[in-house]
Parts: sequence; C-alpha cells; structure tokens
Amino acid sequence: MAPLIAPAGPNQRVARPHEPPSAEHVLGSTRMGRDVLAQTIHGTRTSLMVGFIAGLVVTVVGVAVGVTSGYFGGRIDEALNLLTNVVLVIPNLPLMLVLAAFVGEAGPLTIAIIIGVTAWGWGARVTRAQTLSLRQRDYIRASELLGEPAWRIILVELLPNLVSIIGFNFIGSVLYALITEATLEFLGLGDPLALSWGTNLYHAQETSALRVGAWWEIAAPSLALVIFGSSLSLINFAVDEIANPRLRTLRVPKRILAALRPVGAAE
Amino acid sequence: MVFLLRRLGFYVAAFIAAATFNFLIPRLMPGNPIDTMFAQSGTVLPPESLEALKATFGFLDVPLPIQYLHYLGSVFTWDLGLSVKFYPLTVNQVLVRALPWTLLLVLTSSLTAFTIGSLAGTRAAWRRGGAFDSFGAPGALMLQAVPPLVTSLLALSLFSISLKWLPTGFAWDPMLDLTWSWASVWSVLYHAVLPVVTLALAQIGGYLVTMRNSMINLLGEDYITLGMAKGLTDRRLRLVYAAYNALLPALTSFAMSLGAVFGGSLVTEVVFNYPGLGYTLYEGITSRDYPLIQGQLMIMTLAMLSANFAADLLYIIVDPRLRRA
Amino acid sequence: MTVIQMNQAKPTSLLSVRELCVDYASRQGLKRAVDRVSFDVGANEVLGLAGESGSGKSTVAYAIARLHRPPAFITGGSIVLDGTDVLKLQGETLRQWRWRDVSMVLQSAMNALNPLLTVAAQFADLFRAHGIRNKAEIRERSAELLRMVGIAPDRLLDYPHRFSGGMRQRLVIAMALALSPKLIIMDEPTTALDVVVQRELLEEVTVLRRRLGFSILFITHDLALMSQFCDRIGIMLNGDLVEMGPPMQMVEAPQHPYTRKLWNAIPPLHPSEMPPRRVLENTP
Repeated sequence: MAPLIAPAGPNQRVARPHEPPSAEHVLGSTRMGRDVLAQTIHGTRTSLMVGFIAGLVVTVVGVAVGVTSGYFGGRIDEALNLLTNVVLVIPNLPLMLVLAAFVGEAGPLTIAIIIGVTAWGWGARVTRAQTLSLRQRDYIRASELLGEPAWRIILVELLPNLVSIIGFNFIGSVLYALITEATLEFLGLGDPLALSWGTNLYHAQETSALRVGAWWEIAAPSLALVIFGSSLSLINFAVDEIANPRLRTLRVPKRILAALRPVGAAE
Repeated sequence: MVFLLRRLGFYVAAFIAAATFNFLIPRLMPGNPIDTMFAQSGTVLPPESLEALKATFGFLDVPLPIQYLHYLGSVFTWDLGLSVKFYPLTVNQVLVRALPWTLLLVLTSSLTAFTIGSLAGTRAAWRRGGAFDSFGAPGALMLQAVPPLVTSLLALSLFSISLKWLPTGFAWDPMLDLTWSWASVWSVLYHAVLPVVTLALAQIGGYLVTMRNSMINLLGEDYITLGMAKGLTDRRLRLVYAAYNALLPALTSFAMSLGAVFGGSLVTEVVFNYPGLGYTLYEGITSRDYPLIQGQLMIMTLAMLSANFAADLLYIIVDPRLRRA
Repeated sequence: MTVIQMNQAKPTSLLSVRELCVDYASRQGLKRAVDRVSFDVGANEVLGLAGESGSGKSTVAYAIARLHRPPAFITGGSIVLDGTDVLKLQGETLRQWRWRDVSMVLQSAMNALNPLLTVAAQFADLFRAHGIRNKAEIRERSAELLRMVGIAPDRLLDYPHRFSGGMRQRLVIAMALALSPKLIIMDEPTTALDVVVQRELLEEVTVLRRRLGFSILFITHDLALMSQFCDRIGIMLNGDLVEMGPPMQMVEAPQHPYTRKLWNAIPPLHPSEMPPRRVLENTP
C-alpha cells in the first residue's frame, strides 16, 4: 500500500539535502535528499511487519513453554521454569546485541527472529501461572479422569480460558518488538539498506541530522513509533480492565448516582 | 536463609547460562568461529596476545566439552580477554572504566522513578476512578510506550540543541580534569541531568501502573477495613497499610524490569555520548570487537543478578513471613 | 415490611436503628440490600442478626460502623448510638469517633491483621490515632489488653503469622476492647475456627462482657451458636428484618415462616430440645 500513499519513491533523490518541511515535502528531506515522508511511510510497512512477526513468535513460544510447564508439572515444570527464569533475568538487549553482532547485518526478518527468540520469558511466566491455577479446576480433572489425551485437554479446555491473557501478551510483545527493532537498527545492527523506522533513525544519526538542526528527520519515525506504541498500550490497558474484574473501575452511571439521596454526610 | 541460598544457586545457574550462550554463539554461526571472532584482532594484536586471547575463549585444540570448561574457567576468574578496539587494555579494564557511569545513570534514574512512580500509583489506587486515576493511569501507560530511544532523541533535540539549556553529551566537561573538586562534581551532575531524566521518564509509567494495580488488588482485604474502622488517618492507611503491603509485588516487578533499564541506558548513552557500558559497547560493535561484546554480556548479567539479589534481601527485610527463626 | 415483633424502645437503649435503608448502585440501577430495618440494642445486651448470605446482615453491621463504601450507599433512616447521630458524622469527627463507641471483630483474623506489622505496632497505631502518644502508656495498655484475653504480653513483638487462628482472633478482640467501646460488632467471628476454639472464645467474650460492660451485635449464620450466646435474635431475609425476639421464643413460638424453616434446618444433637443457655452461665 505504501507506494500508493507516498508522494515519491523512498530512495529517490528528490530534494536538496536537509531541507526543512515545506509544502512540497511535508516532512522535509534527508541528507541524501530523500523525502522523509516517503521514507516514513515505506518504513511503516517493514516496521509493522517485524513487530507483528516478532510479537507472534514471542507469544507462541511463551505460551507453549508456559502451558507445557504449568500443565505437566513435575520435572518438566522445574526444567522449563528454570529456563524461563534464566531467560528472564539475563538482560535482553545485551543478549540481542551479542546475537546481532555475530549475525552481521541483520535484515528485518532476522531481527524479528532474534527478538522472538530472546523475549518470550515474561509471557511464559504469566501463562504458566495462569495455567497452574486453572489446572486445579474440576472440569480439567474430570476430563483427565475420562481419559482425554493431554493435547486435547489443553487445546479445548485450557486455551480458551487463556485467551485474554494471550491477547494481552501478544499486544505487549508487538509493542516491545517495535521498540526493540528500532533500537537495534539505530545502534547499527540492522541492514542499512532496509527501510524501516529504525534504519531511518540510524541514517539520521549517521548524518548528524540533529546537530545540523534537521529535527524533522528524527521526528517522523519517532512520532510513528510513539503513535503506534501508545495505541497498542491503551488497547492493552482496556483489555486488562475488561479481563481482570478486580481492576474494573467502578463507574456507576451518573443518572443512577443522581437518583440516590444518601442520608448523612459523605464519607 | 534457605530462600536466599536457593536464589543464589539460581543466580549462579543464570550466570553460567549467559556464559554458555557466549560460548555457543560463535560456534553456531556459519563459518569458522575463529575467523569471525578474531579477524580484526590479527591486525592489531601481537601473535602471543592473539594466542592467549584465543585460549581465553576456549579456542584450543581440544574437544568441545573441554573448550567449554576452559571458557567457564576464564569467566569465573573474570578473565574476559583483551579488547581489540582498546588494545592494550583488557576487556575487564575497559568495562570497569565505564561501569560507574552506567551505574550512576541506572541507579539514580530507577530509584527516582520507582519512588515517584510508586507514590503516584498509591494515589491513583486510593482514589480509584477519580481524576488522578482516570488520566494518570492511561497517561502513564502511554508514556511507557515511548521508547527510551525516542525520549532521549527528543530531549537532546529540545533541551540541548534548540534551547541550549543542557549539554549535548559526555559525562563531564572535556575541558576539565576529572577530580573531586567542586567544579568537577558540578560538571558531572550537570551532564547527568538529561540522561537520568530521560531514563527516569522511560520507567516511571511502569512503576505507577504496577503499584496501582497491586494496591487495587489488596484494597478489599480485611486489614484495610479494620484499619479504617480503627480510625486510622487516611494517609497512614494508604501508605503503611496498603502501599507497604503492595510494595512486595512492586519490588518483584522492579527487579524484573531492571534488565530493561540496562537496555534503555544503552541507548541513552549512545545518544548523549555518555561513556558508560552502553556507549563502550556501541563502539565495540561498530569495530566488531567480539571479546568486548561478549564481555559486556557477562558484566551486564552480573549487574542484573546483583540487583535481583539486592531485591531479594529487601524482600526479606520487608516481609516478616519469609524470615525463619 | 415491618418487624413483626420488636422490643419496645427501652429508655436505656444504646443503639437505635430506625428505618435503615442501604442501596447498592450498579450499572443496572439501585439494588436495595437493607430495607427499612429497625431495631434497638440495649446496654450490656447481646443482639444476634441471623440470616443466609445476601440477607443484608453484614451490610447493616458495616453501615452502623460507617464502614460501608461505594457502591454501597445509605439512602434512608437513622442510626443513633449513645446519643450520637452516627450518620451526621464526617471528616475528622468521624475518624475520632471510630473505635471509641463502637469497634469491630471481623471474620477470620487471618486477614484482619496487617501481616507486615508487629502486634505492638498495630496496637500503637490505634492509640496514636486517638491522641494517646506516650510510649510507656501505650505499651502498658497494650500489655494489659493482651493479658485480658489470656495472651502473654511479651508476644506483643511478634508478627501476626506467628499466632494460631484462635489466638489471632483473641488479639482482634483485645484490640476491639482497647478504647472501652460500648458496642462491639462481631461479624462471623468464629466461622473460621474449629468448634472447640469457638466455644472457648465465646466463653471468654462473655466473661469480658460481664466484667467490662459492653453490648455486642453478633452477626452469623450459625443459629445454634446464636441461641446459646445471644439475648435476642433478629432474623434477616432479603434485606428485611422479619422477626426479632429471645431465642426461646424463636424455638417455641416462631412467628415467621422463614424463622420456622431456619430452625427446622438445624440437625438436633438430641431428639429433645436445644441445650439451654444454662451451660454458659455456669462458667466462672
């Protein structure tokens, strides 16, 4: 869709270097004379794709590990739980940096996989906790007694109840992936030829955009990140409020409150 | 005590896991690991140093398991090899030089953010649905979604470049010699403001929401009701009865989020040219100084584990139920 | 629905509840939890409120102590405790009033005591909130209270989790007595305890009551227990107070069909009638 929206090709030389925003180039131009708006729009495609894929991998791995650990218990649980905790306690970014450094210039897809492989810990922990508590429920016990195979129980009885937490997890993971991908690329670990918000920022930094005063080059991808990030965050907040009854804000409709005439002073 | 010992055991396991990761990665990548890792070094290091370096990382003419033990030995004796970019310094020397700056950033920002964020969170939870909560909680989340990368770039652009209020980089004025004089100390503080504030902003939202949520979860408890019935002041109830109890899960999540803070400090240092671990690492990456890159994983892991351990100790202090007579 | 049988308002009535209404506000509208309930509690009297879950008995208790919180709202009636119009209290006056005239003992002291503070600190809290700041005095009074319920004073420095369930409940009772209240509201105080401990606790409470002179509003669903412990019993059903009178009358001549049902639901130990309260009166 990007080629349709963007005013020009992202890699075309269309303007003089470091031109401030103007009517012709709404977001200005980069050092190489490229249109920032076009770059941002094209970059959206890549960034979102990476975010989505990485988020998917993180969620899938996390849920798989968490459910297996929580459902089967015993030694499997101990082993997987130890693994999860270890992965959780080792700082993510340094880990990814080592990986990315050895991989060389990581294309967006590679970055997605790197993120997916290192960031699943939190999801696994949360899923495991939820599985453990659900496991004690009677209907699961009943299914087991009836001789239903484990995979069926997990798929049919357990997973549907985990949907809200998996959803929450997924959105959070996509958010995390978006940010991390941009960060990794900014640090120079991405493929400079790729086009995403992160690489845009990288190029901006490399060409000293800020110090020259070309703030728009930084602003565009940053704004994109912030907008997407905040929206994802707010969606998650809403999901959490809906799913977790305790957190639900007690908002009693005004008309009902008006009908009350409480006796005595307010608390 | 048993609790602490178990935690220690776990930390040792995690440390070994990080080392194992470091050991396996070069060997798992396509191509000859020795070539990959030491291609650059050959041009910089004299032959004996190069051989020693290879030995440190286990690249000896022995079977793989023995190589592994060798590497573990190096790590546990904190022999991280020679740095290629900063030769003749060892990796350890480079990292130790940079560590205090990172610690300054991380500790200051996280403690400030935790305190302010948590206190704000208690307010939000106490008057749930009120103005502060309705705007504060989602607002905090939106703030949290802004990556440290963006915040630091914004801060730099706004406060350093446009407004020229604060310096554009470095940990102290390059013209000054770093001593304990007032001028030096002041310079350090002056240069630390932006990075610390940036990092703090990146964390504060998370702490607010965590504290808010854990407090809400326990506001229905009987001891809160009884506390109110006893005629305790609102403030004491909120802080000592509710918040203090909510502190426990908040501490856990604080410890867990430290990893992200280290990551964030990496980016902030790069943006502000702040000579901490992150910046050093950045230089290492651009020059493909693999010993340095691997070394920083170990030291970051070590820092993270220490912080977690400190949190465990704090947990024991706060929660009497964990103390065994 | 008015109370079928009610003692005439005695001149020495300690607590006077008239036409009390409590509503719960929800998205769907207002739900009436307590519907025009009226009763009196005399000085030195033990009044029981019985009923199943959802009958409104706890709501009444919490309303009297002004502990109800949104979405619960008091929408009608009056509560007068020892001359004080309870519903008019607010702010600092309300805070000071708390615990002085009326205190509470909640179910399962498991959660009623703050797990992170020592027992001494929780007593000190209470005293300091009511203007008593002298450390020596606080220590002395706390120790005295513990002795009163049969706990060694040196246990003040322990944390709540070091006490057994029964002892914890005694601590809560000791705390309830701290400011010499005139009325103690007990909301299911013995439900989480085993039978033997239950009995010991109630016997001790009776002894204390005789000694110090206070009234008790006793909320529970355990009718058998109530009939031995209370001077009068009120039966609540769906927010209404349907019957009120001495236990003997509930047994021998219940007026309301629900009362009858409740009593018949109790499996008797002996085919003959319930053991009389004489058992309690014989304890020293």
